[in-house]
Amino acid sequence: MFRFISRASVPQVQLWINQREVQVPAGISVWAAMAQSGQQTTRLAPVTEQERSAYCAMGVCFECLVEIDGIPNRQACLTPVEEGMRIERQHITENTYALPTIEGGFVTENKVTGHALAVDAMATSTKTSVQEDDHV
Amino acid sequence: MSKPQVMHYSPQVGDSSDSRSDHGSFDIAIIGAGPAGMSAAITASELGASVVILDDKARAGGQIYRNVSESPLDKPESLGEDYLYGRELIERFQHCSAKKIYQATVWHVGDNGEVLFTQDKATRSLSARELLICPGAMERPFPVPGWHLPGVMSAGSAQVMLKSDGLVCDDAVFVGSGPLLYLIVAQYLRLGVRVKALVDTTPRDNYIHSVQQLPGALSKPNMLTKGLQLLNEIRKSGTPVYRHVTDVRIDSQDPENSDRVSGLRFTCSGKPELLAVGQVFLHQGVIPNLNMSRALNLQHHWCEQQLCWKPTLNQWGQSSIASISVAGDGSGIVGAEGAEHMGRIAALNQATRLGVISENERDQQAADSLQRLATLNRFRRFIDRLYQPAEEFRLPEDDSTVVCRCEEQTLGKLKYGFSQGARGPNELKGLTRCGMGPCQGRQCGHTITELLAKWRGDSVDQVGYYRMRSPMRLLNLTELSRFSRIEPDSTEKSVVKEAAKITVESAVESTREKTGAA
Repeated sequence: MFRFISRASVPQVQLWINQREVQVPAGISVWAAMAQSGQQTTRLAPVTEQERSAYCAMGVCFECLVEIDGIPNRQACLTPVEEGMRIERQHITENTYALPTIEGGFVTENKVTGHALAVDAMATSTKTSVQEDDHV
Repeated sequence: MSKPQVMHYSPQVGDSSDSRSDHGSFDIAIIGAGPAGMSAAITASELGASVVILDDKARAGGQIYRNVSESPLDKPESLGEDYLYGRELIERFQHCSAKKIYQATVWHVGDNGEVLFTQDKATRSLSARELLICPGAMERPFPVPGWHLPGVMSAGSAQVMLKSDGLVCDDAVFVGSGPLLYLIVAQYLRLGVRVKALVDTTPRDNYIHSVQQLPGALSKPNMLTKGLQLLNEIRKSGTPVYRHVTDVRIDSQDPENSDRVSGLRFTCSGKPELLAVGQVFLHQGVIPNLNMSRALNLQHHWCEQQLCWKPTLNQWGQSSIASISVAGDGSGIVGAEGAEHMGRIAALNQATRLGVISENERDQQAADSLQRLATLNRFRRFIDRLYQPAEEFRLPEDDSTVVCRCEEQTLGKLKYGFSQGARGPNELKGLTRCGMGPCQGRQCGHTITELLAKWRGDSVDQVGYYRMRSPMRLLNLTELSRFSRIEPDSTEKSVVKEAAKITVESAVESTREKTGAA
């Protein structure tokens, strides 16, 4: 139901939303790309695990948190699209916990569903910083 | 010692100033480049102050003038002349000497003038003698059953998507009250976007009560005419309009996805109605975006006229911390034109505090803006009364209604928290987790304080608000580990150093005269 009424000749970028390849106008927000491609669920509610979607589109409701290129908790409405971006619906809920990996990072997993989620790049960098601090 | 990766940013090459007390501070740092921030930056930089202005978007304009200088639309003029006016202001702003930092997500502002922000996946800091906070407005929460469902968004979001990305949604229903709601409906219709219905919740009584404020409204006859034209435009389009609506509920009975909106129920003229709908846009007016002024611990008060919290300010926009001022809708809803005047007024006062202009000069230069702002505020009283949101749309009645969206706290759960002894917002937060999610209470703070006031039988002021703290935005540790500081370029001379030099020289002069030691 969402559609663009933008100028005809806008350069396009190619990206993936939930593993589906889409082409969208350059310069738009990640949320706009999701809305237009009909994949409007941004995340699961943390307690009931029901689907949620953007509400304010201006950065104050935090309903549009998604995982972008493996990094969770990105506000889709405030993030501009980039070529090759990989956008995923965010599954982190109360039942999610982090498991350390052999490589030194973390993988998040849902305790109830056993659903393995994307590598938590934020946790990975936390680990890296801690290692660096060890040298102090 | 191996340090985390640091991005070095040293614009101070050649600055041999030995006055380290200033420590590379700007004279004025402005947060937010909407009409208030832009106008303040123009005013202060023209007076010679070193000004830095930050905004989280890629371009200046704020929500009101979003992308007006680079619209994705073929005919941005269809959004109205008030929108196009922004072009001229943005152009003047772009030519002023203030240092402009875009895509900067400010997450800490200190009462010592320190500003911390994320930009380009790194953390940066700067400091200033005077801070001007222009956080703008956000839409008032509209907690009705089902407002948390996918397919329900705010009417302001429809406008943001249209202005920023040229994205529209056909066959949506618009629900609520207020000028912004009628504006977006009219804009959709002008652009040929189908609107399923306008469901207007403005109570009948509001028309009667607002009549008392009509003389004030007549001080801005052109604004009154514009408003009436919008309503006429909608009426003539043949779009179904339901008026004086009550008992709004949003259904999710879509067999394919029970998490999504499927219909809208309401009562109109005593008759229950049900519209099948895939997209709903809600609106119940706008309120100041409080998180920054609250995290700074500025003094706030409850405004009965606008039914919202406001930072307590003097006529120059100065807060309870003298070096911090607030301008624009973040100070209380004043509108784009009012915000522009407030930005100018606040900047002139800060220039006086920095010693750039005298109080007399300030009074003279601010007189016109102060007078125009007073006229606009008289008009605002009329609008505020006419579109005052009814209690049923501010304070939910159904126990299953979600109040805190982030932590999924319903009215029923909050009532239970209150019965367990939680008297204030922070106690309720501790007991139920309301206001503890990523939005940091932006979407539930007003509702919670009004609910507690009602349950306690106290005033909203007595109840108070959540205690806010930095960081005000989401922040990851990689960003935090890359740290650099931004200081004024050597060319951006601080007026304070100059003014201080003059003061010292004249003090020496007068001492010499007094002692006769010339």
